[in-house]
Amino acid sequence: MSALLEARGLIKRFGGLLASAQFSLDVAEGEVHALIGPNGAGKTTAIGQLAGEIRPDAGSIRFAGQEIARLPVQRRVRLGLTRSFQVTSILPRFTTLENVMTVLLVRSGQVFRFFAAVRRETALREEAAAMLARVGLEGRADVMAEDLAHGEQRLLELAMALATGARLLLLDEPMAGLGPVESQAMTRTLLGLRGGLTMLLVEHDMEAVFALADRVSVLVSGQVIASGDPAAIRADPVVRAAYLGEEA
Amino acid sequence: MVDTRRQAVVLLATLALLLALPTLATAMSMPYLVTLGSQVVIYAIAAASLDLLIGYAGLPSFGHAGFFGLGAYVVGIFAFHAADQSRFLGLVPGSTQAWIVWPAAIGVCAIASLAIGALSLRTAGVSFIMITLAFAQMLYFLFVSLKVYGGTDGMGFDSRNTLAGIDPGSDTQFYYVCVAALVLVVVVFRRLVRSRFGMVLEGLRQNERRMAAVGIASYRVRLVAFAIAGAGAGFAGALDANLLRYVSPDALHWTMSGDLLVMVVLGGVGSLYGAVYGAIAFVGLQSVLSQWTEHWMIVLGPILVAVVLVARRGLWGVLGGAGDGRQG
Repeated sequence: MSALLEARGLIKRFGGLLASAQFSLDVAEGEVHALIGPNGAGKTTAIGQLAGEIRPDAGSIRFAGQEIARLPVQRRVRLGLTRSFQVTSILPRFTTLENVMTVLLVRSGQVFRFFAAVRRETALREEAAAMLARVGLEGRADVMAEDLAHGEQRLLELAMALATGARLLLLDEPMAGLGPVESQAMTRTLLGLRGGLTMLLVEHDMEAVFALADRVSVLVSGQVIASGDPAAIRADPVVRAAYLGEEA
Repeated sequence: MVDTRRQAVVLLATLALLLALPTLATAMSMPYLVTLGSQVVIYAIAAASLDLLIGYAGLPSFGHAGFFGLGAYVVGIFAFHAADQSRFLGLVPGSTQAWIVWPAAIGVCAIASLAIGALSLRTAGVSFIMITLAFAQMLYFLFVSLKVYGGTDGMGFDSRNTLAGIDPGSDTQFYYVCVAALVLVVVVFRRLVRSRFGMVLEGLRQNERRMAAVGIASYRVRLVAFAIAGAGAGFAGALDANLLRYVSPDALHWTMSGDLLVMVVLGGVGSLYGAVYGAIAFVGLQSVLSQWTEHWMIVLGPILVAVVLVARRGLWGVLGGAGDGRQG
């Protein structure tokens, strides 16, 4: 397996706080990679730098062989690197289908069309409907996004990330705020997406992490202290002491 | 949900009323109503273009009069140079032909709003309000200082722009031209907000961060919206100069921007149709109340507060039903 994403020596300082201290990570093509760590370890900062919303003070990020550490968010999305948000971020006054259609429009690059009614574009509607089917929301296409249940909004968010044509999805706590049943539905959906898609997952829900991840990296104080398959990570004494031990 | 049938009935009734106005004015022996009607329709065009910015692009511009007044001055300057056979900047000859002057006004305003928008759109929120206000005031003082074109006093001209088949001296015929322009602008803008461009614009208003995360270059989209709105205001300004046969810096003053904002809010933000009712209410109240007192704003103020508090979707929300008019 070749690395699709390679972060090397990322440093990000917020005032006196070192949020990323020589953060390095490899995500291989096709794998589901989980990034875990205690609160304040710098997981969100790491995702922000990979997605392009936070600019690292130093270090390099290579995606599909191209250096991207200085590229803005939109350029990274066009290369196939897309994030989802920890706090649900959708277009509340559009229907579920329209949310996905909007993303597909942006991806198509054909935004500057001023006259034809977008909601009558059959091809666009069908493509959006197909995206919804991949996350199991096909029955909710015409519901206002703000009226969806929380778990459904998280799935919509996932569909929107997929609609960007992502090769690598950065999933920032996809299980956040979900009940056990919704969590299982999300896990099933993510499992269904495996293979075609590479995913880097930041997650607190250890059950979900060990169900989904091919590899796990442990972040403590802005630095990856261990990387390996889930069983090895669970057995690693350093990890247990730093993190898992507290929960066991 | 939006009651589309009710909306269609209200809109058709309004259009019928607008078309019947000259006949009614003659029947009631109140010929000045035609001029007043033209003023309403022209303001409605300007307010609709402002609603495109506020209600759909989420850009609360406080400098929209800048483009309205600029459009008016394009007409005035063409008329000035046509009258004394001179050339603007030694290059452009004057003209009184509507098919030259009006597109020129629209084009000049589109270019001016591209330039002003390019700088203003680097800001957001209160800064955006202030910077658009500042640019409009700069235009205001520019025309105040241009003594050639009348300075503070403005300048009049003899005749309206000529349009094939239209008698430039007839107030009634000019009124119908304005109504046709309003219908055209509203139809074009309604299509615009339902197009691909409109969907992306609306998405940006709802959640900019989300849209950035899926890869949109928001700046360009908003700049184009700003230019379209500026062009719309310029068209309205060109018609206004024709109505009055007079242009002055008042058309560029920040109070004019404020009046347009009041019309948009009175009529209902985010429907485009609301602009028509906002303009009717504003001009109607102004002409009734100003006969009674020159401090007519004292009465308008509480009415505006009541509309904002009680009917949050404005007059269009009351007339057309509770929907927001966006999906209908």
